[in-house]
Amino acid sequence: MESVDDIKEQLSARARTATLEELADQGRKRVRLIRAEHVAQMITAAVNHAVQDAGLLPPEQVDALVEKSRDEFRAVVRDRELEVQAARDAQEQLEASEQELADVQARFLELTQELALARSELQQVRGELADAQQGADAGAPEGADPTSSEVVRALSEELAALRANVGQQAVAPTSEAADASAFAAALDKLAGTLNDRLDTFGKKMGISAAVAGDAPVDFGGMFREDVDQSLESNMDDIQLKQKAGGGIADNLAKLKKLKGGG
Amino acid sequence: MTEQDDITPTAAQTTETAVGLGKGLDVGTANLAAAVQNDEGGITVNVERNAFLDIPSDVYSKNMLTKLKVPYVVHNSKLVVIGEAAFELANVFGRETRRPMADGLVSPSEQDALPMMKMIIQKILGEPQQAGESCYFSVPAESLDVDNNVVYHQGLFESLINKLGYTAHAINEGHAVVFSELAESDFTGIGLSFGGGMANACIAYKSIPCLSFSVARGGDWIDKNVANVLGVPCSKATAIKERGIDIRDPQNREEEAVAIYYRSLISYVLENIKSRFESGQNMPNFNEPIDIACAGGTSMVGGFIEVFREEFAKIDFPIPIGRIFRSEEALTAVSKGCLVAAAIGED
Repeated sequence: MESVDDIKEQLSARARTATLEELADQGRKRVRLIRAEHVAQMITAAVNHAVQDAGLLPPEQVDALVEKSRDEFRAVVRDRELEVQAARDAQEQLEASEQELADVQARFLELTQELALARSELQQVRGELADAQQGADAGAPEGADPTSSEVVRALSEELAALRANVGQQAVAPTSEAADASAFAAALDKLAGTLNDRLDTFGKKMGISAAVAGDAPVDFGGMFREDVDQSLESNMDDIQLKQKAGGGIADNLAKLKKLKGGG
Repeated sequence: MTEQDDITPTAAQTTETAVGLGKGLDVGTANLAAAVQNDEGGITVNVERNAFLDIPSDVYSKNMLTKLKVPYVVHNSKLVVIGEAAFELANVFGRETRRPMADGLVSPSEQDALPMMKMIIQKILGEPQQAGESCYFSVPAESLDVDNNVVYHQGLFESLINKLGYTAHAINEGHAVVFSELAESDFTGIGLSFGGGMANACIAYKSIPCLSFSVARGGDWIDKNVANVLGVPCSKATAIKERGIDIRDPQNREEEAVAIYYRSLISYVLENIKSRFESGQNMPNFNEPIDIACAGGTSMVGGFIEVFREEFAKIDFPIPIGRIFRSEEALTAVSKGCLVAAAIGED
């Protein structure tokens, strides 16, 4: 019995696993297969014959030995099937994880593109705002666009009138106090909307500094200590590396021509 | 460093013999370059690497640096070697240089390097020829791919240049390339500056910038990735990149790594430009194909423009394009463009 087990172990130890792709890579298009059970049967038959021929055991003990060997073999096969199943489960989990990772990466790419698009639109809006401010600045000495000025003035007057009305409503005694309160709230909301519109007009006319802190900032004071300190150095004695380049006369001439000065 | 093969040391006083008014300053992550007109009808550009290296301060080291004419500053009781020498020393000792700028802007982690930057800028600009002379300096455009703010950066250099006696004006880096390289096209086309920290783009119509933006990848991005895959310091990766390789024909594993990341950078920049142009409203309609001019130190590697054309051919660009070319003076094109802006401003 032990010798049969040994043979099984030896068979298992000497067996190797190869995928179909690997076999194909080795140039093998067909392989011959033999079931493990058949191997066991062949071994069992061989052992039976050997034992019977040797006359060491009576025939009934040989049958019992054969049956026990079969049980052992089935147990071994069952263990191998469980191992194969466990490997398949692990493979499926790996594939599921890889799919999840690909989904996350695709989502990340999508969000990155959306972010880039949002930034582009933001820059576009900034550009338009800057153009509007430039346009207003250019016309500033003679006054801003009269149409826009009139609109702003009209909106300002409208807002002042509405605020005055709200004030009058607030001080005037009335029996319909609840209605007046609701009316005042509605007017406040309207006034807020008008304020927003005034701000927008202001920005478009280049007076954003009045409504928002967009003016250029002088950072000079921040660096005074850094850049003003006197340091020991040998820079005065150092020779610079220089490159010679083509002149800029042509560039300047064409630029002047574009500007209408050439 | 191949891109500076034709650089010859001359006396610092040369800048003071310049004739034309106005100066251009390229404030780059990797290099600082100042351009001025000279009395021979050309321009002279002073270039210095924007890098530092701290070494222990002792009398012997100081004497040696002085004798070898290696520029240094004593700062916070340390000897700080400045510029190209710092880069070379870093390679010798296998160290990393300190970089005052990152991704095209002043580095938040190197604020104490400002005095050294001031000294370099003062040295390469020289004294103004007259009080308040115009100095146009380059600033990057806002990035598409990172959240950056150029206001602080611009304010800092404006202040610094004004303190040197100039009147500072900022100009977009891509726009400077248009001024420098697209005169033949009436300053209409796309100027691209491939710098150390960023790639800047500007599309202009008759010198007027219609759209400017940047992406936060440049030569440093290549260096960092090459250093990672090869397991070497970034300064070593920079040296590999600048030793005269051709990215179409890498000769070994190191050059192969550089070539791979160069192609990736070019592809990334082109894709971003394409998507930005596609999403842009109020874009001008060009009746004729427009030119693309590439400049910047990162574009100086062998085979750059050929790989650029190959990658360009792979995408469906939304604007008809004529010539695609690299500036003959790629390293100094931005400073030259700044100089053109300054000179026209002085007229």
